Amino acid sequence: MFHQTPARSFTLAVVLAALVAYATFGGFFAREIVIEIAILAILAISLDFVAGFGGMVSLFHGAVMGLSAYGYSVLTAKFGIHPIPAAFAGIFLAASFGAAVAAIASRTSGIFFIMATLAFGQMLYTIIFKSRWLGGDDGMGGIPRFDASWIGLDFNDSLQFAIFAVFGIAVCYGIAALLLRSAFGRTMCGIHGNEPRMRALGVSTWKHKTAAFAISSAIAGVAGVFAAQHTQYISPELLFWTVSGEVLIVVILGGLGTLVGPVLGAAIFVLLKHEVGNYTDHWHIVVGLLLIVTVMAGGRGIYGQAEHWITGRSRKARESLNA
Amino acid sequence: MLEVRDLCKSFGGLDVTKKVSFALEPGERRVVLGPNGAGKTTLFNLLVGELLPTSGDILINGASVTALSVDQRAMAGMSRSYQKNNLFEDFTVRENLALAAAAGLSKEKWIARDSFHDPEVREIVLDVANQVALTDILDAPVHSASYGNRRQLEVGLALATRPKILLMDEPTSGVGPGMIGAFNKLISDLPRDLTVVIIEHDLDLAFDVADRITVLNYGDVVFEGTPDETRGNQIVRDIYLGDWQADA
Repeated sequence: MFHQTPARSFTLAVVLAALVAYATFGGFFAREIVIEIAILAILAISLDFVAGFGGMVSLFHGAVMGLSAYGYSVLTAKFGIHPIPAAFAGIFLAASFGAAVAAIASRTSGIFFIMATLAFGQMLYTIIFKSRWLGGDDGMGGIPRFDASWIGLDFNDSLQFAIFAVFGIAVCYGIAALLLRSAFGRTMCGIHGNEPRMRALGVSTWKHKTAAFAISSAIAGVAGVFAAQHTQYISPELLFWTVSGEVLIVVILGGLGTLVGPVLGAAIFVLLKHEVGNYTDHWHIVVGLLLIVTVMAGGRGIYGQAEHWITGRSRKARESLNA
Repeated sequence: MLEVRDLCKSFGGLDVTKKVSFALEPGERRVVLGPNGAGKTTLFNLLVGELLPTSGDILINGASVTALSVDQRAMAGMSRSYQKNNLFEDFTVRENLALAAAAGLSKEKWIARDSFHDPEVREIVLDVANQVALTDILDAPVHSASYGNRRQLEVGLALATRPKILLMDEPTSGVGPGMIGAFNKLISDLPRDLTVVIIEHDLDLAFDVADRITVLNYGDVVFEGTPDETRGNQIVRDIYLGDWQADA
């Protein structure tokens, strides 16, 4: 069951403030890193929503993000449609695809569910990779960012776009947290806890899981719109299954089922990639070692482990006070 | 209220349920007796839709529910408790009951409001917690609760959906005599318009709470009658009470 504890709100506020500060004072390269973190964080929130709370681990969130990015890019760059309706269309496309896949896959569970999502994700990758109209493996360029001049902002400025992306994390986190605290989210946690019993209580669990996946895919779609606007160029690589694998690692590293953990995980992952990448191309080794350590420590992830220690300590302190 | 017509279920060559038929009046308390392997739990699984029958029909208020799924039958007013505890282990007792209550009220899909803070859900949670004597441990996680408390919650979950037909699969399995008395009282205190089917091994409890008793043996209904008729019946003595006395 999801609880937005003060510790979680505090951690989120600290991470977001640190990202804004880093973008503000860190120069152009820092801003690029912040945007990269924001895209990964939003994708990680969307994955944690279904995997951490719904028990549905997916390997197609990268494909969903890519689909939304392609939807946005085709509408804006090829058809000249205004970026804002195009963004909504991209997100809607992602949600529809997520719902369609989940409607089929959520009749299975566990490893079969993961394999089904992997298969559908790879299908989408292959279709886009082979499509000459979409640029094939060359990808597509000329993608515009949102025009925010009507509120006096310029998203072609890297600082303003970086702060906009951090704002995107906050909004997506807020939406996910509100949904997890709604009846819908409670029921989803219940399905994760004991699906047959939930069905016996009168809940159509596969419809519920399908709806949960549609919501998660919509959030992944938001990450896709940011991804397309960030580099203003997209390629099928965005949909490849390793992207989904990477975001799964981020979620586990940060803390599966904590919602704020994946945001922290995204920041750590991207920073490690760039910092270690300065010294060696084999930065994956460091991430891998860190992942092994967190998994061996109890599998709670970095944030989850910290939360576990703190609540354990405060419980001990309370008990010694009572004794 | 609940009617079963010629219900059959085979697993391969094994006929577990053979042409079972019975009809329950609204508000009736029916106890299903039978030795181990008589097909009692299979019958429950067929009634709630966890198993599909090989042939036969199940009706609620005269309408067939045989083609309906588990959740659709629950929505039609059927609710069951399990012989083996089947709970939400990681959640608190309150959260368990609230999930069931929200599902029973069809409030489980709200996306803008929290079912756990809904007044109707809260009322049911407190009501049911009181019925199954769990008020004191509402905020304890289920995995830390005692076996007896979990048995009570098992029945509580089934009650919290506010069903019209309540199916209880050996609610007293594994609990001591003190709790059997408490279950007896729980069942007698249930609203009289609730139709109840209970699989029970405790004969005193069965004879106490039942309006009518159905006896299954090897998937057949071998007897149906009032508790008094059951006591005196020779077939029942031979196949069930005989075994029971031999075991004791």
